[in-house]
Amino acid sequence: MSIIHVSSLKKSYGRKLVLDDINFEIAEGSVVGLLGPNGCGKTTLIKILTGLIKDHTGTVRIDNEEPGPYTKGIVAFLPDKSYLPDWMKPKDAIGYFSDFYADFDKEKAEKMVRDFGLDENQRLKTMSKGQQEKLNLILVMCRRAKLYILDEPLGGLDPAARSFVLDLIMNNYAKDSTVLISTHLIGDVERIFNRVLMISGGKLIVNSHVDEIREKGKSVEEVFKEVFSYAW
Amino acid sequence: MLGKLIKHELRHSARYTMSIYTAVIVISAVMGLSLLSSATWLGVMSCFALYAAGFIAVIITLVSVIKSFYDTLFGRQGYLTLTLPVKCSNLLISKVIVSFIWILASFALMALTLVMIFFYAKERSSGYFSMMSDAISLSGILELLPSASAVISLLIAAAIWAVITIFAYVSFVYFTVTVANTRALQSHPKILGGLVFLGIFSINNTVGNLLTQYIPLTFNVGSDSVYFAFEQMGRVNDALLSYGVAGTAFSGLFAFGLLWLTGYILEHKVNLK
Repeated sequence: MSIIHVSSLKKSYGRKLVLDDINFEIAEGSVVGLLGPNGCGKTTLIKILTGLIKDHTGTVRIDNEEPGPYTKGIVAFLPDKSYLPDWMKPKDAIGYFSDFYADFDKEKAEKMVRDFGLDENQRLKTMSKGQQEKLNLILVMCRRAKLYILDEPLGGLDPAARSFVLDLIMNNYAKDSTVLISTHLIGDVERIFNRVLMISGGKLIVNSHVDEIREKGKSVEEVFKEVFSYAW
Repeated sequence: MLGKLIKHELRHSARYTMSIYTAVIVISAVMGLSLLSSATWLGVMSCFALYAAGFIAVIITLVSVIKSFYDTLFGRQGYLTLTLPVKCSNLLISKVIVSFIWILASFALMALTLVMIFFYAKERSSGYFSMMSDAISLSGILELLPSASAVISLLIAAAIWAVITIFAYVSFVYFTVTVANTRALQSHPKILGGLVFLGIFSINNTVGNLLTQYIPLTFNVGSDSVYFAFEQMGRVNDALLSYGVAGTAFSGLFAFGLLWLTGYILEHKVNLK
């Protein structure tokens, strides 16, 4: 059973084609890496999957539905920037998620905020960037979503923080759910993927199970470097 | 869900307005306490401060309607708002309702400050204060109203006008901000958005005035009743207040159409940076 079904997807900004005839399916329960250099179309694809962009051609189905209120209710989305308003405190943000997402585990979020040393009464504008990112991730991972879409969750983090974030993701996502992680930092995340999608110039050029790559005696990072050698 | 959207929208927009509302309360308290003192300057200063605060509250509220709409949908918070499991129409309705509440509250606050200054000036009743109370009572115009029912009719007519005017303002702002955040206008959103606002404002006024002139159906508040008349505005002799039905109806429908268009663009054409 596939949680994501994409066929003949095209999207252009003016005359610039940013996604060109993308086709793929992702089965439930997978941990998928969406890989590619900056500007290759990863974020546009994620915006389409999360219903932020509608003016595209082709078919996109999440759990057999077009992106809309239903799919937004089953997708936990972490964008590549902090999206909470500055005046909010962690307890406000928890209240907000609790009000809108039926699958949000409020008690777990409150516990994680305490466990990770965040002050539930501190305003976001007085928090460090790292603290804000931690809070955003806690909110997303405290949902029992069918699909987690995480856009560059490791961008701008030092190696220790990257490891922390990956552990947080892997220890907290609902095990029958699907996780789609967009990143260009392959080395750190290779261990958690069981499928990878590689996009280059708006085209999907690799859609492969990680075991198939390893059977050929390669790592995902090596394939990535082969495919995107022009970018370095 | 609409109730929750309204609750959170109120919480968010209160950030912009609460400080000026608090200032009005503090100044009113100072003004009240100044009655205990014989110092004229303190009374005069607090009256002017209260008037200014009431006026500023309206301005801040009108600006906050624009800022709140932009921040929650097209700023980085848009990634949160536009991925909520709610219909776009519900998002828009909640924002219209909350903007409406705040604008109405700001006008009510402005009126309240005038009433407070009026009664304060009456209480002090000398020099500057007499001038103030005269100015607020519109040099006695209010006293010309012949009956309580006329005042009620006038208030109803003013309320209808206010509802349509506020609704039109909110829809003009929402449409402008939304259009300015499509890819076509995103290169220079402030300049192009300003031009869009001027354009729709001009269309509304020009068509509204033409309709009022050529379809002379007016809604009138008389000395003790409200009534419709097939006369052009200003030609209904005993009317205390009258406005053109066709022009006003056009404003309402135009605003409604723009709001529908805003929902469509928000759903299909918006590009979050």
